[in-house]
Amino acid sequence: MVDTNNDALKSILVVGGGVAGMQAALDAANQGYRVYLVEKNPSIGGRMAALDKTFPTLDCSACILTPRLSEVARHPNIELLTYSEVEHVQGTLGDMRVRVRRKARFVDETKCSGCGDCARECPVEVPNEFDEGLGFRKAIYVMFPQSTPNVYTIDSSACIRCKRCVRVCERGAIDLDMQDSTVELHVGVIILSTGYRLFDVRKYPRYGYGRYPNVITAMEFERLINAAGPTNGHLIRLTDGAVPKRIAFIQCVGARDVKKGVPNCSRVCCMYGVKNAVMAREHDPDAEVSVYYADIRAFGKGFEEFYEMARSRFGVNFVKGRVGEIIEDPETQNLRFEVEDTLSGRILNVEHDLVVLCPGLQPADDLHRLAEMLGLRTSEDGYVEIRDALTAPLETDHPGVLVCGCADGPKDIPDSVTAGSAAAMRATILLSSGGAK
Amino acid sequence: MTESEEPRIGVFVCHCGHNIAGTVDVERVAKVAATFPHVVFSTDEMFMCSDSGQQLIRDKIKEHGLNRVVVASCSPRMHEPTFRRVVEEGGLNRYLYEQVNLREHVSWCHMHEPEAATEKAIDLVRMSVARAARLESIPVKTVQVTPRALVVGGGIAGLRAALDIADRGFEVVLVEKRPQLGGHVIHWTHMFPADRSGREVVSPMIDEVMDHDLITVYTDSKVTALDGYIGNFDITIKSNKTGEEHKVKVGAVIVATGFEPFKPIGYYAYEDSPDIMTLAELQEMPPSDELLRPSDGKPAKKLAFIGCVGSREPGVKGHEHCSRYCCSAVAKAASDLKDRVDEVVVLYQDVRTYGRGHEEIHRLAREKRVIFSKYNPDERPEVWVKRGKITMRWRDVLADDLLEFKPDILVLASAMVPPEDVEEIAKIFSLTRSSDGFFNPEHIKLAPLTTHTAGIMIAGVAQAAKNASETVVDASGAAAKAAALLARGEVEIESTVASVNPDVCSSCHTCITACPYGAMSIDESHDPPVAHVTEAKCHGCGTCAAGCPSGAITMLHSTDDQILSMVEALLMPAQMSGGEAR
Repeated sequence: MVDTNNDALKSILVVGGGVAGMQAALDAANQGYRVYLVEKNPSIGGRMAALDKTFPTLDCSACILTPRLSEVARHPNIELLTYSEVEHVQGTLGDMRVRVRRKARFVDETKCSGCGDCARECPVEVPNEFDEGLGFRKAIYVMFPQSTPNVYTIDSSACIRCKRCVRVCERGAIDLDMQDSTVELHVGVIILSTGYRLFDVRKYPRYGYGRYPNVITAMEFERLINAAGPTNGHLIRLTDGAVPKRIAFIQCVGARDVKKGVPNCSRVCCMYGVKNAVMAREHDPDAEVSVYYADIRAFGKGFEEFYEMARSRFGVNFVKGRVGEIIEDPETQNLRFEVEDTLSGRILNVEHDLVVLCPGLQPADDLHRLAEMLGLRTSEDGYVEIRDALTAPLETDHPGVLVCGCADGPKDIPDSVTAGSAAAMRATILLSSGGAK
Repeated sequence: MTESEEPRIGVFVCHCGHNIAGTVDVERVAKVAATFPHVVFSTDEMFMCSDSGQQLIRDKIKEHGLNRVVVASCSPRMHEPTFRRVVEEGGLNRYLYEQVNLREHVSWCHMHEPEAATEKAIDLVRMSVARAARLESIPVKTVQVTPRALVVGGGIAGLRAALDIADRGFEVVLVEKRPQLGGHVIHWTHMFPADRSGREVVSPMIDEVMDHDLITVYTDSKVTALDGYIGNFDITIKSNKTGEEHKVKVGAVIVATGFEPFKPIGYYAYEDSPDIMTLAELQEMPPSDELLRPSDGKPAKKLAFIGCVGSREPGVKGHEHCSRYCCSAVAKAASDLKDRVDEVVVLYQDVRTYGRGHEEIHRLAREKRVIFSKYNPDERPEVWVKRGKITMRWRDVLADDLLEFKPDILVLASAMVPPEDVEEIAKIFSLTRSSDGFFNPEHIKLAPLTTHTAGIMIAGVAQAAKNASETVVDASGAAAKAAALLARGEVEIESTVASVNPDVCSSCHTCITACPYGAMSIDESHDPPVAHVTEAKCHGCGTCAAGCPSGAITMLHSTDDQILSMVEALLMPAQMSGGEAR
């Protein structure tokens, strides 16, 4: 009999190709381990790829991320399995059999050069989820220009099978009859870095999202101010294309709210709110920008200093208070609401051209299924429970499964990256000691 | 390729989506660049950094036999490493690549003058093309890595990092300046969110460290010197007591030197009563059923906390940052102690109980009727002590009332600040510090654990204020970086270093005093003795070359010839054949 255990002790599966998962993959691969990185989307990069700037340095998000994407893609020890999902796991630490379903992308990854001839030819346009539905993409598409791997994917729910892409593709990379396939992996440790989804702000009907087009989410705002976004970075209102002159940011929408099942703080919304407020002033120095908050939680390195700069240098107006019902003016589509400025005790009656809701984070859709499959305990709000915050912060109830990034709770980018590195460390310790440590 | 070959330059102008192309006429820049001397190919492309952009470079190198590549895109700090790798993959030496910054230096700062911006872009590309023609390949060197790590600091971060590296199978040298391991945490009586003492948490770690075959511990000792470079650091460890010195060679270093709790001298009558203490001092009080007042040993009935003491003070150097751990720690202490006293009041600016489970602690404290009152940072609470009695008066922002409270014990949640010897540590390990006084990471977002000195990592509060559970994650993360280095066994070093022409050197020693990195020495074996560069230590800063009175030192990749060619291309564009008439 062949000892198949050996290869598993050299292999790690990372589930989720966002910034935490990529870091975990790199730090394990750099130690000589074989890493399979499974990502459900057609490209790695996660949420960070869609952000405009990052706090507290206002670095362009895609620009600092892109080198990371190519580092992962060209690493000899990392195998990318994008557009793929973990279907089944069996076994324990040091010896885990994993079945991964590779969804049919209808484009041969080995043949596609990402030239884009197919997309130019494709007659079907659908809302682009990468732009939060604000822009359009074709039925054959890449998620974003720096997509990694740089391979097109056909959205089968949108494709009309006109075959124009097949005819135009010089490399013959398109195969409309492609079927889902499965691969079996043999690994020693699984690292979950499944990320987050944003709270559905429709659950607060009083803010009018979905009814009032000038009430948008922070993610939509990110895409609107992004130079690679649907408006080439021009911040405009969705009703009339006008440049908003009075902009409101409303914090804690779906965070720190026991009644909505989200009792915890989401850790990132204060800072992305402050950052977006600063960006709004950067885009239009004449705009009046107000942030309505409960507490400003600027706790990370350089965050408080950034918050102070937003107030003093950028002139962002911070109002402590819960916002009441938002009413749209039917003529101007401007938005009015009452808010108690709890610092002055006054009730303010305010009008804004644009209202940006800053939603909290929730566990990724897929996490529940994975946790159940792996027998992991989850908290009431759906995150994986770790063994101990001080002595085993990355370990779960399953001896062969570690968590990082937002799988065990909301985290900002540096905390996610750090947890990714730490998970790689735990994984390689577990494997180097033959599963004994 | 040999340098005598005629330069064949390819120019690639990046749109960067709308970032550059929204201001600069990139098509025109590419067209004009095509007319510059030695340019055999020039084009513009949506994203040069994308896979397709990278492939384009590799394809064109092959197709046109390019032997120099110029990419006009963003700052080289962003993508120079990317494109250097790409040209290498295309078969060229990485130093035959030149980057022009059309984004940070042109489109972003001249957004409202597109025409002038385009002219400037053309000038910059012309200069870089001139330089590219004079670029020379430089061999890429690697050095061996000593498979052993140094961890500085024996607090919870240092312990975790040392255990991780050792458990991974590498030797570790752990140095702690105090006589005992365990840092601050070992003295704390209750940690959050778990109900455990610090001793319960770190004692098992200390035992493991002491028993570990691969860990050597030096307590009551300090690192006094670090010499060498990534993979090969020579460390001097000195015992505080005996003055005895040990020399060790290590491949990687983790600095986990932690913090000091800020002594709030001059704040809230801190020095006027033993009953006014810091949160750290409260944490270190021996556990007892009742909370005893230090002044007279009687049980305290009224307890108060003030938050942000020495934190969040705009304009006060070293105190502008949020200390991150204190809000949750105060909520935990207030909630716990409410069971033993009658009244607890917490004065705060914002409640930052951001962590998992922390919000519950805060809610629990409120349920137990701990009173939280928000004060205005512009009108800080007043505290005075009269005949041993503490009085505090403040304006509650939410009610706009002036309130008074006479606590038996007042706890000041004082900031986390760097340890006293932080400047010394920074100097030894070539680390820089940010405005909070802690060390700067390599990148605040994506490289929070590495530093600008290759091979030296930071973990825990050495990097920024944070709580113990965040610190241990940092430590494991930093350990991963060290382990990768030790596991690889060899590492590339900087090639753009100083180079001495021995025939011209007059052995005047000027370069030796000028070099900030100790990379210059005199090679006595040479006759006559001449200056010598230890390449692995050289950062390529050029200070020696500027100081050399004989012009004996050349900076590889920044030669006089290369730089002057750029000046010439700027000042005398017409001299360059094909230069556009202006």
